Amino acid sequence: MDAKVKNTHIDSIKVSVIGNRLDAISKEIGQTMLRTSRSPIFSEARDFVTGIFDSQLRLVAQTAYIPVLMGALPYAVRSIAETFAGDIEDGDIFILNDPYHGNNHPPDITIAKPVFFNGEIHFWSAAKGHHADVGGGGVAGYNPRARSIWEECIRIPPAKLYMAGKPNKALWDTILLNVHLPFLVEGDLHCEVGAVTIGGRSLVALLEKYGVDLLNTAIEEIFAASERQMCAVIREVPNGVFKAERLIDHDGINKDKMIAVRVSMRVDDEGITFDFSDSDPQAEGYINSTMPNTASSCFLALFTSIGSEVRFNEGALRKLHVIAPIGSIVNAAEPAPVTGCTIATAQAIIEAVWLALSQSVPDKVDAGWSRWCGPASMGFNPRTGRMFGDIHFMCKGGGGASKGLDGWEHLGTVVCAGGLRAPDPELHELINPYTVLQYEYWPDSAGAGQWRGGVGTIYRWRVEADDIAVANFGGGNRPETVPFGLAGGKSAPPHELYLRKRDEVIDVDVESIYSYDSGDVFEIYESGGGGYGNPRKRELERVRDDVMDGLVSVDRARDDYGVVIDPETWEIDHAATGKLRGLA
Amino acid sequence: MGLRIGVDVGGTFTDFLVTDDDGNAEIYKTSTTPGDPTIGLFCGLEKAAVHHGLSLDDFLSQVQTIVHGTTITTNATLTGDGAVTGFITTKGFRDVLNMRRGLKERQFEKYAPPPALVPRRRIQVVDERITVNGEVVTPLNEDDVRTAAAYFRKQNVEAIAVSLLWSFRNPIHEQRIREILEQELPDVYLSLSTDVLPQIRVYERNSTTALNAYVGPVLTRYLTRLQDELRQRDYTGKLLIMQSNGGVMSPQVAQRFASNTLLSGPAGAPMAGIFYGETHGFRNMITVDMGGTSFDVALIKDAQPTVTTEGTIGEHRIASPILDIHTIGAGGGSIAWIDSGGLLAVGPKSAGAEPGPACYGRGGTQATVTDAQVVLGYLDPAFFEKGELQFDVDAAGNAITEHIAQPLKMDLVTAADGIYQLVNNNMAAALGVVSVQRGYDPREFVLVVAGGAGPIHAAAIARELGIPLILIPRESSVFCAAGMLISDLKHDYVHTYAREFDQVDVAEVQALFARMVATARETLESEGVPEGKMEINYSADLRYVGQFNEVEVGVPGDGNISAETLTRMVQAFHARHDGLYGYSMQESPLELINLRITAYGKTFKPKQERYPRSDTDPTHARLGSRKAWFDGKFNEFAVYDGLQLLNGNHVEGPAIVVQPTTTILVPPDFDLICDDYQNYLVFTKGKDINELCKALQ
Repeated sequence: MDAKVKNTHIDSIKVSVIGNRLDAISKEIGQTMLRTSRSPIFSEARDFVTGIFDSQLRLVAQTAYIPVLMGALPYAVRSIAETFAGDIEDGDIFILNDPYHGNNHPPDITIAKPVFFNGEIHFWSAAKGHHADVGGGGVAGYNPRARSIWEECIRIPPAKLYMAGKPNKALWDTILLNVHLPFLVEGDLHCEVGAVTIGGRSLVALLEKYGVDLLNTAIEEIFAASERQMCAVIREVPNGVFKAERLIDHDGINKDKMIAVRVSMRVDDEGITFDFSDSDPQAEGYINSTMPNTASSCFLALFTSIGSEVRFNEGALRKLHVIAPIGSIVNAAEPAPVTGCTIATAQAIIEAVWLALSQSVPDKVDAGWSRWCGPASMGFNPRTGRMFGDIHFMCKGGGGASKGLDGWEHLGTVVCAGGLRAPDPELHELINPYTVLQYEYWPDSAGAGQWRGGVGTIYRWRVEADDIAVANFGGGNRPETVPFGLAGGKSAPPHELYLRKRDEVIDVDVESIYSYDSGDVFEIYESGGGGYGNPRKRELERVRDDVMDGLVSVDRARDDYGVVIDPETWEIDHAATGKLRGLA
Repeated sequence: MGLRIGVDVGGTFTDFLVTDDDGNAEIYKTSTTPGDPTIGLFCGLEKAAVHHGLSLDDFLSQVQTIVHGTTITTNATLTGDGAVTGFITTKGFRDVLNMRRGLKERQFEKYAPPPALVPRRRIQVVDERITVNGEVVTPLNEDDVRTAAAYFRKQNVEAIAVSLLWSFRNPIHEQRIREILEQELPDVYLSLSTDVLPQIRVYERNSTTALNAYVGPVLTRYLTRLQDELRQRDYTGKLLIMQSNGGVMSPQVAQRFASNTLLSGPAGAPMAGIFYGETHGFRNMITVDMGGTSFDVALIKDAQPTVTTEGTIGEHRIASPILDIHTIGAGGGSIAWIDSGGLLAVGPKSAGAEPGPACYGRGGTQATVTDAQVVLGYLDPAFFEKGELQFDVDAAGNAITEHIAQPLKMDLVTAADGIYQLVNNNMAAALGVVSVQRGYDPREFVLVVAGGAGPIHAAAIARELGIPLILIPRESSVFCAAGMLISDLKHDYVHTYAREFDQVDVAEVQALFARMVATARETLESEGVPEGKMEINYSADLRYVGQFNEVEVGVPGDGNISAETLTRMVQAFHARHDGLYGYSMQESPLELINLRITAYGKTFKPKQERYPRSDTDPTHARLGSRKAWFDGKFNEFAVYDGLQLLNGNHVEGPAIVVQPTTTILVPPDFDLICDDYQNYLVFTKGKDINELCKALQ
């Protein structure tokens, strides 16, 4: 037996084993967060990401329930490590939320713990999640009126939350003194700290078992394997330059001005370059993107289309390049406000990349998903005697259709790619001063197609307390920003949102502030996803099933799909249908 | 007393374990008859009768109890073959069941969502509303209920699930709906959330209640047929049905709570672990069961199986307490493949029973775990002459060469060893999920192994995790049937309370506990359990105010709640939270979410016969030896006939112990002894087995 071949083999098996174990540890960190969080935004909606970095600060393994966070951790952890180079002790735990120090946006607070073994750092165990509140003038971090970062949040640069195992009391106190909901923020910081601590424990066990050298070799191999996977995927896309544009509804300040994200996607033998140089300049309002968010959005667009089987780590990213000029909407200059970027701007970036990809590999891309549009609210609940803060995550829109598959109902937004868990209506009522009146599918809300979009959601509730601050955010309220159809499929309608007060009905817009009082009713009609392929080619039985299930009306079956159905018997009128479909 | 029979109807075989008062045990196996499982069941009983030299009727007259594990509801759910089910819920909330909380498990892949248990057209809404405090703000519109009933009649609905918002706070509307439906549709199976799971969280409650309706008629039909057949044969003994929670119940209770049988089969394994572990006084064990496509793992702490309320079956949530059995796609048929990055992977895809591994010679060409076992020399065709399977060694080698060895540029044996190591590692990781991730150290547990192929991997898994001792029952192939025989009657009850701790009303809590206890006692009484054999355990789900997940802690005492009881619960909660999640917050206020009781009707436990000890020399059982690959080289493994080994015999590794359906691999650094009950203990070479057993008691 050839000795060299044998050695390679031992590595290859060990690499698989170690790779699986690292993935498992990253999941373990995530599970801990899920189970201990206090903010429904973490534990119900799973708006967080966990990851493991090696001593060179390269992303080794990651668990991203909300995939738009998938590329954000590396920037944050690097910023922390560089800031404190030479001043890091065992037992230190770091915190960061400032977008101008490597964070993606302020509410997603990063917590990172260096993992020591025999006196040296070999790993970082990290978590990042959306906190219910980061102070500033916003609601759950969202301040559509902000014109600078200082109006959005308390800014936390890379800092030690624990110093050699001891809490940095001054910093804890400073943070908790500067937020509206210290009770939730304190609990969730503990939750993140607990999670990275559990991750650290498992990483030390891994180091004890395999030793530093073997682990490092394995990690290099894991990176190389992912890079090979990514190269194979990119080879399936023809070389060329593909351009696309998507619009953001507005920035909250200039409400009549849509903002363009323009991508020029170059595919060549070196990989894929996403060039956003033609995008609009940065805006006054808080939808400006940061580099971590722009890069994440590109990665998400790629991993939900051509790269779905690639293991996500540093190696997979080597072939991907993002060009985002500073001072533009995709890479704002300090001190522009940025909180809205993970939703409003990320959605536009992802859609633009998908449209660019669809020019060469339409089979791999979904039609547009319903953009997020819904409120965060914060106030005092007299029934529980406590402050509360929450994002109304029930209003999930429909997913986009793709070749051969209808979109999933009630799945959106695309930045979460189906990882956002809708909160439980009863737990929601138990904590918040709201009575949910309706929470079900919105018929006729999806884009028609041979494969239709997933249907969206009607979500209405009555307010049972006064003086509640509300920030509504997202997109998709205008004809230009609805979910697009692909390959002949139809787009979905815009959302409709209303605030019904005692003597008026307010049309609710994105990136806007409102206030609730007792007796108000808030109504969200969240759109479905875009359709794929010509609706007149949809199988007759599928159209009939949708009509019987009340998801598509008889009128729309006739007008969009060319299928005539008797509303009493649900029988298809084949003669009339043939005529409409041009077959008679 | 008389004979007791455990019957486990599995996917391929129906297993029987017959025990008598003296602890004698007999094993029978018949082929499962999926069309009507009672055929295979009676076929096996017939076999046992013949063995006893009796007619089936005479044999049955000596049988005191039959405990039955069934996959009938599991199969109906997995194949979409349940009852035509209707669903009634609160107006405005029609789609909570099918929204499945808006989750897509594999986020980056394109695939269709799982088919709905109840299509939207059969979900009907009724106007009514109960508040967070249990007050009726919108009275029930009874016309809506009658309209729904008329629609269901037209649709030939066989079962109806009813789950309304906040019904656990006030069941009045659900109860009225039941009255109306009983009038309107007297023959339809009814499943009410207030009966099945009166617990907060709408989707989880809806899904559990819907599953109960979906499988209710299926189980009812099956049990009616089975009981009729038994009655025709004048069977006067007891029939008990195995539940997902590791307990048994009467057929009458099973029909009402049919969803409690969704894990009826696998639930036998942890119970069997307890049964076999008891012979050595082991109380902490991890049981593993390796089948053709999957590998089931369960943890037992203090001789109690661990329970979860976060189960799923075919992607449908079941929130009733079930044994916490963690399953991964790693079985004998699991396929080895190379991913697009060039790394070796094993599973979760499986060659299944058809075509099966390449070595079965039934047309399988993919490289599977079983093929690796053959190539490495662990399975040898020579020792399976009498068996039903003829291994095709060349086919195994070709499959691995083509799909693994050549692409990875390695030789056949190292490729096979890679598959073996990787699957061992995946299995070890699965053990980590039920132990390390739940805050337990696997080194303090005994590994108990079931299934024919499990013992080939057991030692490697144990070494990976530092588990010092492995117990392999000689009857490991009917492991689950054994577990069923020793299970108590067991019923779980839950009621959501959901108050902050400083608002907990001790009298209210006590009253809720008392109500659950009354229901439990009534049920146990209906199953013929005498007062002295009833046992009730109390527990509660707690969390820090504002958290969204609870931690269950025991409630000390007998349901008499005092301020002192509450304090002790709080202390237990902080400690458990810290162990599980890395922190606790002693100053933080708590919430009391759910009250739970588990009611047991203690059943008779068969004795396990202890055999007189023979000497340590196993030579009389020696069949020969063969070369097998382990730890990077070929070793000469001594081969023994397991059925010839006597208790006290000490086999030194490297060795392979074979039985007709089981192969045990004893690696070079392990030894095996046959214990006083003719089960096997495998342990690290050089350790004193008696001290080891003592340490793990």
